[in-house]
Amino acid sequence: MNYAMVRMLILKDWYLQRWVILGSLVGGAIALAITISFGKAGFFIGMILLITILIASGDQLAFALVVNERKEKTLAFVMSLPISSIEYTASKVLANLLIFLVPWTAILAGSLALILATPAIPHGLVPYVTIMCIEILVTICFVSCVAIVSESQSWAIATVIVGNLGFNVVGYLVAHVASIAATMFGPVVVWDTASVAILVAELATMILLFAFTFFVQSRKTHFL
Amino acid sequence: MMGNLAVHFEGVGKKYTHFALENIHLELEQGSIMGFIGANGAGKSTTMRILMGLVRQDCGTVEVLGHQMPKEQIAAKREIGFVSEDMRLYEAATIAWHMQLVGKIYPTWDQTYADHLCKHFDLKPQQQVKGLSHGQRVKAALMLVLARRPRLLVLDEPTTGLDPVARHEVLGELMKVLADERRTILFSSHNTLDVEQISDTITFIDRGRIIDSGDKESYLDSWRRMRLDVPPGVTLPALPGTIATERTGRIAVLTTCRFDPAMTALCRDAGANMQSVDRMTLEEIFIQNVESRRERVIA
Repeated sequence: MNYAMVRMLILKDWYLQRWVILGSLVGGAIALAITISFGKAGFFIGMILLITILIASGDQLAFALVVNERKEKTLAFVMSLPISSIEYTASKVLANLLIFLVPWTAILAGSLALILATPAIPHGLVPYVTIMCIEILVTICFVSCVAIVSESQSWAIATVIVGNLGFNVVGYLVAHVASIAATMFGPVVVWDTASVAILVAELATMILLFAFTFFVQSRKTHFL
Repeated sequence: MMGNLAVHFEGVGKKYTHFALENIHLELEQGSIMGFIGANGAGKSTTMRILMGLVRQDCGTVEVLGHQMPKEQIAAKREIGFVSEDMRLYEAATIAWHMQLVGKIYPTWDQTYADHLCKHFDLKPQQQVKGLSHGQRVKAALMLVLARRPRLLVLDEPTTGLDPVARHEVLGELMKVLADERRTILFSSHNTLDVEQISDTITFIDRGRIIDSGDKESYLDSWRRMRLDVPPGVTLPALPGTIATERTGRIAVLTTCRFDPAMTALCRDAGANMQSVDRMTLEEIFIQNVESRRERVIA
């Protein structure tokens, strides 16, 4: 693996997406400000805004970094550089993940800090918020991996729809796990077995998605 | 692979649902310029993508600058400059940003030459790609490739869609590159005039098969169109390399790919009068070549 080239391609994508990163950070900060400024209604509006910003920026990254590379015919330029298909895949997987982790980490940290610093908000929400933030990360990885493998706008759009529906279903199911539901609105943060198991399952899903992406990419016979 | 070959295809095939590249044998000597001519959809781009390691062949072997493709594509691509008609640069970035990116990747990047090319091609490095015309985009892509000084240039229809001035500039710069005898170029086009201008060897491809390959001068020297007056009762002798014969009354037009001045005497001896012997352009040779092959396939 030519790590120097992979790094260079990630930096290229970082540069090209710098306004998306900045926009999502500013949007996230505004959403957090709304969450703490306008009581209960502000809390819910702010949270919905945070989720929307995260999902929108993640989906935008997958489209801009992968789907548009083919659509706008810059793929030929990239693939003419001294890289292999696997290095291209590695650069895209990592660029999507690392760039998305910037707003994601900031928003997750901001949300947790907000919950822990605001007495009115039950601290018991921490595991649920963490699980759902990681679920957004899983959803974005899912969209990115499908975009990389299919290089198709239609497939990517279908994945965005499935991913968003899936996020809501997971949110509902997690909130209805008895042990999580019992402590979610309590004053103490409780990491029970079910919460940890869900986190492990989410991380395992991401690993499987990446493994599947590299497997499919390694078997492709054409890149243009 | 022979030491002096920059490109060597041996029995290469690639099947798609509605198209197949079949049994491609191609040899390109180092320091030569090959014009790769074919109609749209003939297989030029697929062949070039296989050469670049971007498409994996189903069968056969491909060696480029001593590297097996696609296995050793990273090493090969360090020495290959590839520009295709459908290649685009990043619209949101400037030409200077692209120059910086390519300069970081290739140690052979020559900034002085890049600056010279920008000036020559009338490109402003601080300009965003988004605002460039098609001609400027092609010239920018070519500048990025030429300033790396690659050993092999693979140009897939680089002049398609260019206005005459831009085409002249691009071809002129390529001619200068050719002054370096170590530089090898594979240049595809369906515009035979461009190919005729810069190539020293020609390969014709049609419907996924290479139908002919040879040096340009030999083509132009050996192909002739002969116009004969054939009186009634006179039978024309069998002339070697006759590709096509058209008759209208007493007038016969013969196309041969193995012209010999002795043919004039042979026809005269048979009783026919040679009215004219015309050289053919590369375009005429290409069309005749394709038509005769297609007729043979149908027959």
